[in-house]
This record gives sequence, C-alpha cells and structure tokens, in this order.
Amino acid sequence: MKKRVITRRDFLRTAAVSTIAGAFSFPDGLGAMQGKLKKSKAVLIRDKDALDDTGHHNPEVIQRMLDEAVTVLLEKSDPVEAWKVLINPSDIVGIKSNVWGYLPTGGVVEQALKRSVMDAGVREENISIDDWGVLRDSVFKNATALINARPARTHHWSGMGGCIKNYIMFVPDPSKWHGDSCADLAKIWYLPHVKGRTKLNILLMLTPLFHGIGPHHFSKRYVWAYKGILVSRDPVAVDATGVRILQAKRREFFGEERPLQPPAKHIFLAETRHHLGVSNPERIELIKLGWKEDILI
Amino acid sequence: MKRKQWLTVYLVFIGGMVLLGDTPGKETKILDSLLPREIKGWKAVEKDQFYNPHNIFDYIDGAGEVYRSYNFKELLVRRFTRKGKPDIVADFFKMGSSRDAFGVFTHDLEGEDVEIGQDSTYNAGLLSFWKGLFFISIYAEEETDETKEVVLSLGRFAALAIKEEGEKPDLLDLLPPEYVDKKSIHYFHNHMILNYHFFVSDENIFFLDQKTEAVLGTGFEKGEEYKLLLIRYPDTKKAAKAYRSFIEAYMPDAIEQGLVQTEDKRWTAAGVIGDKIIIIFNALSDISAKGMLKKLESKG
Repeated sequence: MKKRVITRRDFLRTAAVSTIAGAFSFPDGLGAMQGKLKKSKAVLIRDKDALDDTGHHNPEVIQRMLDEAVTVLLEKSDPVEAWKVLINPSDIVGIKSNVWGYLPTGGVVEQALKRSVMDAGVREENISIDDWGVLRDSVFKNATALINARPARTHHWSGMGGCIKNYIMFVPDPSKWHGDSCADLAKIWYLPHVKGRTKLNILLMLTPLFHGIGPHHFSKRYVWAYKGILVSRDPVAVDATGVRILQAKRREFFGEERPLQPPAKHIFLAETRHHLGVSNPERIELIKLGWKEDILI
Repeated sequence: MKRKQWLTVYLVFIGGMVLLGDTPGKETKILDSLLPREIKGWKAVEKDQFYNPHNIFDYIDGAGEVYRSYNFKELLVRRFTRKGKPDIVADFFKMGSSRDAFGVFTHDLEGEDVEIGQDSTYNAGLLSFWKGLFFISIYAEEETDETKEVVLSLGRFAALAIKEEGEKPDLLDLLPPEYVDKKSIHYFHNHMILNYHFFVSDENIFFLDQKTEAVLGTGFEKGEEYKLLLIRYPDTKKAAKAYRSFIEAYMPDAIEQGLVQTEDKRWTAAGVIGDKIIIIFNALSDISAKGMLKKLESKG
C-alpha cells in the first residue's frame, strides 16, 4: 500500500500547527489513537534554593527535591520505599546522563540518583552513570533497570532535547535518526536492549535553555533559573510538559508567540505513532510541589 | 589496483587522519592566516581542532546536519581564553562553494547586521558572517561589552584576511525585490532544511537533493505573511517530475492547474518553467497568487 504523504494542509485542516503549544500534534486519523484513553502522572517540583549563589546545583536541595518528587509520584511515605518500587536490590542499574558541555545533567544530580538507587539496596558496582559510552559500558550492557536524567533545552534539529531524545546514544549511528526532525526517536525505546527497562525519567528544569542560536545552539542569554525538576515514569509526559514550560518562557521573553523551530514533533509522535506514553496535557496528571512563583504552567 | 590508485587511497587516508586528529598541519596554517593567536588579552592556548563531515557530531550536536547539508569540507576551531573571562570560540567552516557559504549563513538570520564580511549578524554574543568560501561563527561563552568588542574585532580581522569575495547564488536574481524581504531569504539544497524553515510535507515530494538549489523567502501583503519557494533542478525533466509530484500530493483538489485554496482560506499557486518550479504559499487571494507566479515565470 502506498504510504500516505502528510502535508502542511493536513495540519491546517485540523489547526494542529499549534502556536499555543508551540509544538506539534498529528491530525486525527493520521496517527493511531490507541493511547487515547491512557493517562500519565508527572510531578513538577521547584525550590528557590535549588541553585547556589553562583548558579550551581545545590546538592542538599536537589537531593531533597528528587526524594520528595519520587515519593509523591509513587504515593509512598518515604523516598527509600518509593525507590524500592522502582528498583530491586538485584538490579543492574544504568543512570543515563547527558554530558552536553553547555548544559549537562551534572554531578550533583547524578550522585543524588546514585545514592537513591543504593538506598534501594543496589550494590555500587552494579550502578553506572554514562552518556556517550552506554553501548560499551558493561553495566549498561547488562542493565536490568535504567534511570533517565537530563536537562531540558531547545534543540536545533529535534525542537527539544528531553528524556525521549536522551536515548539516542543507545544506537550506534545517532545521526541516522535525524530524519524529519528526529520524528521517530521513540522507536529507540523499543530496541531489545532498551525496551521496558526505564524505571524513572527526570527532566531537569533547573536552568533550561528556551532558545538557541548559532552552530552550538546556545547562549547564556536564553537560559533561565526555573529551579524545577519534572519526574515521571512516562518519558513522553515529562517532555510534553517541559515543552509547555519552554514555550511559555519564549512567549514571556519575546513578547509574542514564537513556536519552537523545528516543532518538537517527536514528542507528540511518541504518543500518536509509537504509543510510548502520553503527550496530551489533558491526560497528564501534573502534581506541582514547592515554589510557585513564575511557574508558567 | 594500479600504483597511482593506491597512492590516491593513501593520500585520502592520511588526509582523513590529519583532519580527525589535532596535529598542527595545513589547517592550523589556514587558521593562523585568518586569525591572530592573541587579541586584547585573549590567547589561543589550546590546540586548534579540526572536523570533517564524518566526525562533525563529535563537536556539534544535531546542528551538524545543517553544515553537512551545505556540503561543508572542513571545520577549523580555535578557542581563545583569558583568565577570569569568558572563553571565545571561533568556528571556521570551509565550504565547497561560496553559494554554500552564503546558504549556511542564511540558515540563521537572527541578529543585527554588523557589516562584517559579505553579510553578517550579531546576537547574544554570537557573530556569524560569510565571505568567499568561508562561513564563520565567533562566539563568546558569556556576552559582555568587552567580549562583544573582542568577538567583533576577531571577525573584522578574519574578514580582512579572507582576500576573495564569493558570488551569491544567481537564483536570488530571480526573486523580485518587491515580493520578498531580502533579509528573510534562505538558500538551501535539501528537504530537511526546507522543512526546518517551512514545513511542506513529511515526504520529499520535491525530490530535493544536494544537486537542487532552492530559495525560500517571506513577503507581506496587507501585513499578512506569505512564502515564496523557487527550486532549480539539474534538468527540465526533473523539474517537471517534481512539479507533478507536488501537485498530486499538495493540491489534488486544485480548482485550476496549479492553484488551490487551502484550509486556512489562503491560496497556493505553483508553476513550472524549464528547470525551475515556483510556488507561492499563503497568498491572500487567487489573484495575488497568480499575479506573483506570472511575474516570477516571466523572469525565469
């Protein structure tokens, strides 16, 4: 059967080239709607002391934020109990980080996550933190559980760099996934060495990048101290929520609608085409904790 | 294999090794000829770095695709540091042609014109300009009055050091200035870049590739924006095939040949003339769409 070509007119038809979300959703009937009734839960936690006076991550506060977010997300009474829902002591755990020089996940977050995993009973030698080396790392190669943590930022080629895109290092040829603005990144999540292993997604909104320029798609002018962390078991839900916050910041900063360029359609296709999770905000239960000033959402 | 062919393979291999590594070689000499090693207290302390289309992603994240799509040959990188001050990074992209140096410059047009090179923009610590075969980006990791001055000085130095200017794509001459804002024009080759600036279709319905040339410009009619797309193919047969493909995918409900009212009540008109196809998207009326098309066809 000949493949249906999707054109600009399909989006005009459903008014789905959204200037409100600054993002992308597929017209009815084009994306499969199997996930229509699915719901996801995400926690957004903010703390005005998440960064120190020099703008660096504050270790104690970050640990507290992660503990509280995970506890609420999993509806447990303390963080250790919550982490034990996610991780078994016998698990081999890969913490998928992001080392992008201008805005990395960072040691404070990495170590906080490692500490939590160890508190759940996992031995230190069975934990690894990596990004570019995940295909060569012996712990990652044998991982039974993955924790996915990275900062949110606009991205030159995919619209947004978030939790879904963070797994591009699980393929040997990342650039082969760049077609159509990285539309099908969610497919990576179904590869045998990845599928079903992710226990938690942490999208760092501590100092997100809401606009990029130049070859490196970065300028400090377009970074702001939002001091938040988004946590969910659903990578699509954290990314879709992150996009809304980035878009709200762009609207505030530029004083007009300035949709992401290109639109972060891989996030919405992750639901409509690949059924990885939920992107529709109406079906994401977003629990907001902590500092509310300038929350934007 | 003949001896001469082995020699060619060997030379290509050695060339690749030089580009992949950081051994000072001809690239450092090129950089030395285009940039000082020290300026206003900032020094190039680290070794220069060199990249090619195969390893560009080691240096630049997803945007590496942009430079590959413009057929870049080499990227030369020099980092300037000064104690207690933000670093300044100069990226020199040597392109295969001046058309592509111009083209990659048009990919990101945000910023003010600072009159460096043949065209330039400055925004938030980033200077971009092109001249001859080079597209150059000089970036301060933090923008201050002082770093801005250094960035601009480096740019002026490099622009002066590049002796030869390059020609812009002649396709630009076919765009009537009264129809398109000159500062909005993007020149490119492939489908991914078209969709980056203006999404038309998920499939490559224009059959764009590295041998096609395209310009996309923005114009305004009564304050409302429209887009003008002009594509040139290597031959008339390819242009005709792409035109048919576009008509079939985009306007199966055309009210007349190459004219359709789209769902937002705007008009799209398309025509093919020789080796070129011309499309006006989002015109306010059928009359204006057809009028612009006719004018462009007369120039083509």
